[in-house]
Amino acid sequence: MSLLRGLLGMELIETSVRLFLDFQEKLASLDSALILDVPLGVISRIEKMGGATSRGENSYGLDITCKDMRNLRFALKQEGHSRRDMFDILTRYAFPLAHSLPIFAFLNEEKFNVDGWTVYNPVEEYRRQGLPNHHWRITFINKCYELCDTYPALLVVPYRASDDDLRRVATFRSRNRIPVLSWIHPENKTVIVRCSQPLVGMSGKRNKDDEKYLDVIRETNRQISKLTIYDARPNVNAVANKATGGGYESDDAYHNAELFFLDIHNIHVMRESLKKVKDIVYPNVEESHWLSSLESTHWLEHIKLVLTGAIQVADKVSSGKSSVLVHCSDGWDRTAQLTSLAMLMLDSFYRSIEGFEILVQKEWISFGHKFASRIGHGDKNHADADRSPIFLQFIDCVWQMSKQFPTAFEFNERFLITILDHLYSCRFGTFLYNCESARERQKVTERTVSLWSLINSNKDKFKNPFYTKEINRVLYPVASMRHLELWVNYYIRWNPRIKQQQPNPVEQRYVELLALRDEYIQRLEELQLAGSAKLAEPSTSPAGPSPMMPHVHTHF
Amino acid sequence: MEFSDLIRTGRAQAKLLRGPEAPPLRGTLCLTGHHLLLSPGPQATSELWLLLLRSVDSIEKRVASDSGTITLRCKDLRVLQLEIEGVEASLDIARSIEALSSLESVITSFPFFYRPKGLRLGDAWHFHPPERYYKRVARETNAWRLSEVNEDFSVCPSYPRAVIVPRSVDDGALARSARFRQGGRFPVLSYHHAPSGTVLVRSSQPLTGPQKRRCAEDEELLRAVLAGARPGARGFIVDTRSSQAAKQARMTGGGTEAKTAYPGWKRLHRPLERGQPLQESFVRLVEACGDPQQSTDSWLCRLEGCCWLAHVKEALSTACLAAQGMEREGACILVHGAEGTDSTLLVTSLAQLILDPLSRTMAGFQELVEREWIQAGHPFQLRCAHSAFSHARPKHEAPTFLLFLDCVWQLGRQFPLSLEFGEGLLLALFEHAYASPFGTFLCNSEKERCLCEVRTRTHSLWSGLNQPKEQRKLRNPLYAPNPLAIWPSVELQSLRLWQGLFLRWIRPPEPSEVAWEKVWQIVTDKEKTKLSQPTVSASEPQL
Repeated sequence: MSLLRGLLGMELIETSVRLFLDFQEKLASLDSALILDVPLGVISRIEKMGGATSRGENSYGLDITCKDMRNLRFALKQEGHSRRDMFDILTRYAFPLAHSLPIFAFLNEEKFNVDGWTVYNPVEEYRRQGLPNHHWRITFINKCYELCDTYPALLVVPYRASDDDLRRVATFRSRNRIPVLSWIHPENKTVIVRCSQPLVGMSGKRNKDDEKYLDVIRETNRQISKLTIYDARPNVNAVANKATGGGYESDDAYHNAELFFLDIHNIHVMRESLKKVKDIVYPNVEESHWLSSLESTHWLEHIKLVLTGAIQVADKVSSGKSSVLVHCSDGWDRTAQLTSLAMLMLDSFYRSIEGFEILVQKEWISFGHKFASRIGHGDKNHADADRSPIFLQFIDCVWQMSKQFPTAFEFNERFLITILDHLYSCRFGTFLYNCESARERQKVTERTVSLWSLINSNKDKFKNPFYTKEINRVLYPVASMRHLELWVNYYIRWNPRIKQQQPNPVEQRYVELLALRDEYIQRLEELQLAGSAKLAEPSTSPAGPSPMMPHVHTHF
Repeated sequence: MEFSDLIRTGRAQAKLLRGPEAPPLRGTLCLTGHHLLLSPGPQATSELWLLLLRSVDSIEKRVASDSGTITLRCKDLRVLQLEIEGVEASLDIARSIEALSSLESVITSFPFFYRPKGLRLGDAWHFHPPERYYKRVARETNAWRLSEVNEDFSVCPSYPRAVIVPRSVDDGALARSARFRQGGRFPVLSYHHAPSGTVLVRSSQPLTGPQKRRCAEDEELLRAVLAGARPGARGFIVDTRSSQAAKQARMTGGGTEAKTAYPGWKRLHRPLERGQPLQESFVRLVEACGDPQQSTDSWLCRLEGCCWLAHVKEALSTACLAAQGMEREGACILVHGAEGTDSTLLVTSLAQLILDPLSRTMAGFQELVEREWIQAGHPFQLRCAHSAFSHARPKHEAPTFLLFLDCVWQLGRQFPLSLEFGEGLLLALFEHAYASPFGTFLCNSEKERCLCEVRTRTHSLWSGLNQPKEQRKLRNPLYAPNPLAIWPSVELQSLRLWQGLFLRWIRPPEPSEVAWEKVWQIVTDKEKTKLSQPTVSASEPQL
């Protein structure tokens, strides 16, 4: 697939949406037409290869690098100078920002019967968590994004901290990202709080308000003597950050806190690691030393560290030992990974389709993971150092968890892959821009369609037939290298040799199973109704409880 | 010999540690001729714990001032630790276990004493004889017949009494062909692929030797194989050795089929590892999986260094080659290596799983194992004498059957709906092949099993497994019959370490077993809903 040879009779249908190539594959073994479907948003780089003087059949044409682990190479004929036109059009539409054109999501007029933008309502989500309560309040201090321009408008903070306190704390936290609540344990009331690094700097600055504020957070749980701080970074990186004004909470300044480093590397390390993964899977899969080459990319090792960190966060909170404060440098990459994964482990609600959408919407989109910079939507600067696969890494961690707990998630693999596909496609507004304030300025919810509209209007396609709802079960995945595996169906999906063998029968069977499940659940409800009706009328059925009641209970 | 001679100390107080997940057990340790028992004492609620001594692979003892610790490494890869009160007692028990677990005699082994409730001796032993498979072949073609030339095991000691051979070849010719093949393993039918009318045949290497001997009857036999498929049919000989090794075999009397002597047949070499290198690969893998000090950052390199997955890949791709030859090229396939009792069977049995939907059913797979492994003379007793923990230098041990099970597991992972059985059956077969209360995997051949009267004096594993209470563990709840060939992807990227086996005792058995149970529930709920329906309608008038 990497080298599409012999493009005779190729028809290039170009819309501003995607690049469709429809041509007869010339291989004798394949009679069917091969259709290549590439959303233009996925294109990272377009290059011309070969010049007017190049010889050889495939030496002249276009080389397209994609964000989703593939490269496409089109060999073109030199006659007619069609290449320049094609190059210009492709560049225009693949990188609209550089040409003052709107991103495709703003032109997309798709209609769905549900509105994905209504999925996440912060007030409702906090209410579900039991907030506000005696110790935590909802504040609108950031209504106009004046306190922190990369935070959402609505924040949950300790009841005992006044708005003025918050403003003073903001001066001591990188980009004003103050510690705010992400999740509260329904029983033991310990919390996960997220923020950015403190601005300690070389001189070891202290801030009384910040110190007091962290103590107020600790005191929301009376029995806890220490607040646990997880700094996602490796120790050395945290120290090095002092040189640029950042740093971490020192023991001297924060008596009632314990700090641990989680050794997760920064966006640049992750980008290079994924680049190495791409090198060994595309265009040709590394054959001779597959496992050791895979190991040398360190991708799985990074996954392991992220998962291990999240497990520690989840364990602290679930055991009620301590509340947890998580930060990295700016608190929008590793921090988002850790809080959202820990929440996924702790709270079964987030393992449903809508729950997961809310989780992404809350911990990633509203809290300012810089999707625009990390993905580079519509931007032609493919070498931008701000790009990094942080969100992909999060989804990979979720996939690893779903492998280890095959019945714990309502969604299937296709759901995760669809999210990743539309992370790049620019067909929906969901992942556009860096933060909520920017989205509001651009009126994204009014002018674009949400990815959740697509998914929620056809939920069955994304459901896991083996899902069994369990409340209050904490999932601790095994984060050892022995139990992690490369997500072949995502990273190597373009390789025809690795293609899943019979996706259709499997999906068909899963659909059948889903139908079975629904039928059964409906049946169960009817039985329960019948049973309770019977119990309510003891005079008419003196024979005692319904004979099928025990039967009903054995299943749930 | 009496077992009691070997039991130095019959009982002691002990504590048993069964890995990080299970709680330790305390109680009285008892040693019998075949078992190690731990009785928790009258007041305890937990049940009696029992271990078949035969399943102990290696034993390690350490003594302190007033107690001893015995580490038992089992053939199913479990590691157990016994803390025993009294130095003398612990040493005695260790020595007794050592002696009892390595008894060579077949007829004093536990299967000859095992009499489970609900099973009758002799049941299920006659489920899967070659005669039964022949009935199926005879329905599909009349080019083959059942020969009893080996009635008294004199023609080939490692073949069963009855074998399926070309109809046009008489018993005299078979006997002469047998003299030209190592161990008398002349070419016999392994599988008839009805959709293409071609066959899979297996044998051992021809004894061409340095003089390049020939045998007219052997040549006639292979000619008849082609003629039976269709006039002008072609054939491929898949030799599971490298061409170099095959050539070298001539010096010791073996060799390969000469091109000129066997017109229509083309030889392909697909070297598969066997014997000691395979055993070493297994040992290294188990070592790596169980190594607590394994620095995690080099796990994949270490896994690669074990080469186990490379062996899985080679076995699967050779089986695919054979299957492809039959299905796509319409060719007949003869598979052999040297003895024809190891990698040969690996290839023929896997090729059948790929091609034949019947072999992917519960009954069909059991029949396949019985026919292509047990009756075909895979020397289980020699190959499975020790598992991966034994310190003894391996003599004849090799995990060929385990490699087969691993390949089947990979097929099941790639085709989650196409096998009627699940991982549970494969794990059970692995355990029972190495140590079992049943007689199925005893001895090295039918001849030996007859001599030991295995069939009349022990129970068959199949009747043990086919009891209704076992089914939920063994069957695949998602099974949907698939009439097509299942072509696996054999690239390393598509293969996985079989965690359920190699990490079985290292990883907590939870979520996967819980998940399996839930899937069963979802799938079987439909029937239950149906059953409960009449109850509801019957009770409605009362309301």
